[in-house]
Amino acid sequence: MSEIISQDLLRQCVGEWLAAGKRVAGPRQVSWNRVLYAPLKTPSELLLDLNERPVNSIKEFFFPKHEQLYGYKIEGNDIRLTDPEETLPEQVILGGRPCDAAALPILDHIFNWDFKDSQYNARRAVTTIVTVACTTHDDACFCTSVGLAPTAERGSDAILLPLGDGSYEVRCETEKGKTLFAGKTTPSDKTATEYAGPEKKIDPAKVGAFARDHFEDPLWQQQTLACLGCGICAYNCPTCHCFDIVDEGNAAGGERARNWDSCQFPLFTLHASGHNPRNSQPNRQRQRVYHKFHIYPEKFGEVLCTGCGSCTRNCPAGLGIVGITTEISHG
Amino acid sequence: MSETKAFEPKIIAFVCNWCTYLGADLAGTSRLEYPANVRLVRLPCTGRIDFNLLIKAFEMKADAVLVSGCHPGDCHYTSGNYHARRRWMLFRDLLDLLGFDMRRIYFSWISGAEGHKFRQVITEITEETRKLGPYKLYEGKPVAYPKFSETVMPLGDFSTEAEMRSTARTLLSDGSVQVVIGYGERGPVFVTHAKDAGKLVWNRNCLTNLTAYLKRKEIKALGKAAIVVKGCDERALLVLEQESQIERENLHVIGMACEGLGIPKCAGCMVRQPRFADEVIGTAKPAEAIDHYAALDVLMAMSPEERMGFWAEQFDRCQRCYACRQVCPMCFCEQCLTDKNQPQEIDTSATRKGIFAWQIMRAFHQAGRCVGCGECTRVCPVGIDLWALNLALERSAEKNFGYKAGMEKSAGSLIGAYSTRDKEEFIQ
Repeated sequence: MSEIISQDLLRQCVGEWLAAGKRVAGPRQVSWNRVLYAPLKTPSELLLDLNERPVNSIKEFFFPKHEQLYGYKIEGNDIRLTDPEETLPEQVILGGRPCDAAALPILDHIFNWDFKDSQYNARRAVTTIVTVACTTHDDACFCTSVGLAPTAERGSDAILLPLGDGSYEVRCETEKGKTLFAGKTTPSDKTATEYAGPEKKIDPAKVGAFARDHFEDPLWQQQTLACLGCGICAYNCPTCHCFDIVDEGNAAGGERARNWDSCQFPLFTLHASGHNPRNSQPNRQRQRVYHKFHIYPEKFGEVLCTGCGSCTRNCPAGLGIVGITTEISHG
Repeated sequence: MSETKAFEPKIIAFVCNWCTYLGADLAGTSRLEYPANVRLVRLPCTGRIDFNLLIKAFEMKADAVLVSGCHPGDCHYTSGNYHARRRWMLFRDLLDLLGFDMRRIYFSWISGAEGHKFRQVITEITEETRKLGPYKLYEGKPVAYPKFSETVMPLGDFSTEAEMRSTARTLLSDGSVQVVIGYGERGPVFVTHAKDAGKLVWNRNCLTNLTAYLKRKEIKALGKAAIVVKGCDERALLVLEQESQIERENLHVIGMACEGLGIPKCAGCMVRQPRFADEVIGTAKPAEAIDHYAALDVLMAMSPEERMGFWAEQFDRCQRCYACRQVCPMCFCEQCLTDKNQPQEIDTSATRKGIFAWQIMRAFHQAGRCVGCGECTRVCPVGIDLWALNLALERSAEKNFGYKAGMEKSAGSLIGAYSTRDKEEFIQ
């Protein structure tokens, strides 16, 4: 026996959640050729039955591209600090992929390691994640290479498996998921067929070992010469989490804020002396691979990658993790 | 009502040291009374007034901004005000497209002897701005996505691939170049051995404007290069040469005739056949001309508040990933202004303020330089209509100065030059 929900009913639920003041986010068409995970204003904006993966990842609902840490006001000799003005409504993230959801337990390590990040944790606490299992993949997908699958439930509060007739089998994984769908699903004898996903494309252990043992290998340069040095791979990666702390404002007031940052920018490692230890784009791309497949596993026991393929799919120069590491994996 | 009465506009005037500042001084010493709403910022010359300062003034709650300098012919530095005049002409068109309230942006020529004119201009601006009320920057009316006309996306055939490969092979084997910058199956490739020429492809995925790689030190280190360009990419080479960024004689250009890659920018392409390449592979039928600027009319038909709403909605998505900058052949600065942090002129935060400042700067630094290759728009991960900003500046350059970047080999720079006959209807 399984529990199922129809698409119509799912949209109706979205309407109810929105009416209850929750922030609901899911895949939305934002321009003629882009689909992003974005907050929804109406249930009809939610795109289900998507074949392609949205460009961005759901991490921005926990770790936004810009967030205020505190504000300041200066009046005469008086300096006043203020807490961030953000209110945290309950969030439902609907329609993310298993490779998005799986990133959150991975990110939990870094945001709770030596310092418990209150803003990240607060957002995690108020958010329910409902993923939709994949029934197709594209050339960039490689979840199976990092131990995930199109139906992997890791990080999801509930996972919806398409039945092919416009309805979904609902598997609630946590209390949050059960609460969200309580009374909304109907029992059925239909069960979804689990899609196998892409063939394994890279070998994370081999990539990590290569990064450790062949740090100066010419392969890094050969594989990454085309890198233009933008932040698309890092910013749209579900697991990349580097940030910059900035003070912005003027003599009267302003804020201290946390912004996304990327190891692909020269400024990321530029020293005050003018020296830059990672002084070329191939060095910076190597760092990205090294961090994901060697540093992170060494520190937290798992790779910093969910195989979503966003870096490959969106790279203006056709690189990305798969492109760079395929040769290493098969070499 | 009482609140409206209490409103006192804040006006920032950027004035040159040699004329308008003296004009203001004269107004003072002549005991001419003018509203105390104006704050003067004295700079050496109008030619030196960075356009970002205008945006900064609005960010810091100015309700109106004035730029004022010496009359034409009177510049202390001979031509600073002529350069300024040309630049502001273009800048106004960009701000207009973005939906800025153009009634709050003033330009004037006030000499050191015109204390009375200074008083008159300041009084007028203050009165007008008082009527307009406080400026709510970057707050627009939300709008539905405008209907731009259906785009035809022409797609040519790509039968010249083999010829391109053999050209590359010859160039590499006879040692005339050390690297061929071309397209590979996955993206750009840098072929250094004749035996690898087969890695080069020519198909509808050959989108990247490869000239962006010419600035990169890792690529320069590979030695003398041959580069594969389409007609649209080739325009960038002309500008790069004009701006002394490449030595054309040290570059071998393989031009590919192209009848379209099946993307919107290919509609109405006027440069299907490369014109200045060392060799051109294939022949392309000319495209039917279309009105490229029609899309701008769709935006300009909206009210300024709606245009601002349109851009605010788009810019809110910006991640500040700088892909638009990195992919642009014209963005060759070793250090971008937004990466300079002592002081930080452009906020790095992905806030509405930071994003507007960044996008305005990026677009305007391309004024008279952008060749319309459309790479910024193609790579933008969040689908911002960056083309429209570039197009507005292109139209302004064409309309006001009869200039189009990267079309003629002998053409000088637009922004780096001036004419004493440039239009100045917008200057008081």
